[in-house]
Amino acid sequence: MSRIIVIIAIVIFSSCELLLFEPDMGSRDPLENFDYLWNEADKKYSYFELKGIDWNQVRATYRPMLSSDSGEEELFEVLAAMLNELRDDHTNLIAPFNISRYNVALQGPENFRQRTLEEFYIPRAWFTGAFVHDFLADSLVGYVRYASFMSDFSDEQLDFVINRYAHTRGLILDLRANGGGSLFNVPKILGRFAHEKTLVGYTITRNGPRHTDFGEREPFYITPYDGARYAGPVVVLIDRGSYSATTFFALATKAFPQIILMGDTTGGGGGLPNGGQLPNGWTYRFSISQLLDLNWANYAEDGVPPDIQASFDWTDLTRDEILDKAVERIVTR
Amino acid sequence: MKLNLHWVITPLIWLAFTLQSIAGEDLTVSPQNYNHYYRQGSVALTSPVYRDFATSPLFYRGSGIAFSSSWLRRSLHRERLFSMGLELGAVSAFAPEGEFIRPLSVGMFHQLSLYYHQLWRLEALSDHRNNVKLGGALQTSQHIRSNPSLLNNALGLENLTHLMASAQLTRDISRTEPRKGYFFLFSTMLKPVKRDLRFQANVGLLNFNYRPGYAYSYDAELVGLETSPLSWVLADYRWSLNGWRISTQIEYISYLPNGNARSIAYVWEAAHAPGRHEAFQMASHRIQYTMFFHTAKR
Repeated sequence: MSRIIVIIAIVIFSSCELLLFEPDMGSRDPLENFDYLWNEADKKYSYFELKGIDWNQVRATYRPMLSSDSGEEELFEVLAAMLNELRDDHTNLIAPFNISRYNVALQGPENFRQRTLEEFYIPRAWFTGAFVHDFLADSLVGYVRYASFMSDFSDEQLDFVINRYAHTRGLILDLRANGGGSLFNVPKILGRFAHEKTLVGYTITRNGPRHTDFGEREPFYITPYDGARYAGPVVVLIDRGSYSATTFFALATKAFPQIILMGDTTGGGGGLPNGGQLPNGWTYRFSISQLLDLNWANYAEDGVPPDIQASFDWTDLTRDEILDKAVERIVTR
Repeated sequence: MKLNLHWVITPLIWLAFTLQSIAGEDLTVSPQNYNHYYRQGSVALTSPVYRDFATSPLFYRGSGIAFSSSWLRRSLHRERLFSMGLELGAVSAFAPEGEFIRPLSVGMFHQLSLYYHQLWRLEALSDHRNNVKLGGALQTSQHIRSNPSLLNNALGLENLTHLMASAQLTRDISRTEPRKGYFFLFSTMLKPVKRDLRFQANVGLLNFNYRPGYAYSYDAELVGLETSPLSWVLADYRWSLNGWRISTQIEYISYLPNGNARSIAYVWEAAHAPGRHEAFQMASHRIQYTMFFHTAKR
């Protein structure tokens, strides 16, 4: 009798959740996947209003391009094109055979050439963690290249870099072509230039189904680092390849009078991306928050403009005009 | 959903006191009424399945291993169990077959859990072979999920906490007389042994879940270097009182002459946590082996 009870119970409960949960929603149907992605973006994407995107019109344009018979390649092209209407590099569609991206850096000229820098400016550069650095202009200027906010570094590494250039007239922090990464590396660096707790901006996040539904403004403070800090002027180099966390950084520098931005407008990317998965197993992401400046303006998504415009002259690859201009500004100051 | 907690909690308190008074009537000191104290160690093979609608409509399934340590105090009339557990598992999404390459999403599913129950014998339904106990259980589990294919939402966290009604039936299936047993061509004399077959079911009465806010990720306040990444991640999490959880367990326990015991159990549980915006669902199947170390009898 007891054996029978055990067997019956195992049979009943081994698949019981299938009766309790909604059915598996996995589907290859192109229209189901289109609708799922369109709805997710409609519910959560954060920059419809700023960019003047009529999302219903986007649906009306792209959905008729698909049918239940559409192949995966066709589905990918249509979904990617729909997401690119958001004009946002925090937006990707990831299928096993391709990844879509908007590539905002192509919206402006390129302003950084690694070879020029390494060959003609810092041929014997020091590499300290994520930082590539050396003296310029007869040791009057310190140059620090930070290529990606994805690259973490220790306090000791940054202490070393800051202390090495402590007696220079000014520091150049090169964030060109820095595509972003961890937001937590922004206050780690800016804290070296802060003298007091400084409000530098705000963020707001979608919290409802309407495109204008956002939660309360969340402040973004920079606090001074309790250790090696740099007291002199700082020139931060930016361009259209400076994206996401680099745009956060650029916006935050506006609160520090001793820091100026030089180069080209950043690529934007002020929204925190949100990741998800479609019924067919592909994944995606798009922005769900906005970055605001101290006046609550959300222009940063389209890029933070430089205080001093400068551009790279590609007819002479031995010179980096943006870097030259930054050195000149510090030396002649 | 607005819910007056008094309507739920008051009957529970009444039930607890009633059961306790039923159990308390008969507590004379006899060998049957001894409290047996056990320390338990368990290891289990698990098969978790979950779906987090905030990030995916697909079920993630996999396998894992679980460990737990428990303290059990059991008598004929009453039982108290406190347990701490850790489960480590790997899961993947069951995406439809692709035209070119099948999408593969692999993640980790880890669970930390605490469990306590207190049960009282129900005399009306019990006899010398069957012991029916009723009572309450408190269970809290913290899930830590990682899935790199979900990019910025690679980390998934939720806490499910439940106050549950619990029912247990223990049937004494001891072999009281020596018996000859046959195994193919061999025969052996099987000695008397104390054995129990136990079935337990728990149903959530108050079901709490701690889930992300509307947009799942949330751009929260950043205060320089003082910001804790964990508090930043959890800034938009909210407690909700909704959903359900049920669990069942069938356990075969064999006692050793020295008072220790060992058991093999099949444990199944399922939970649904709607949260504020998008639901989380999970189920788990577990084959569990437990050693009971008899530490005291009073």
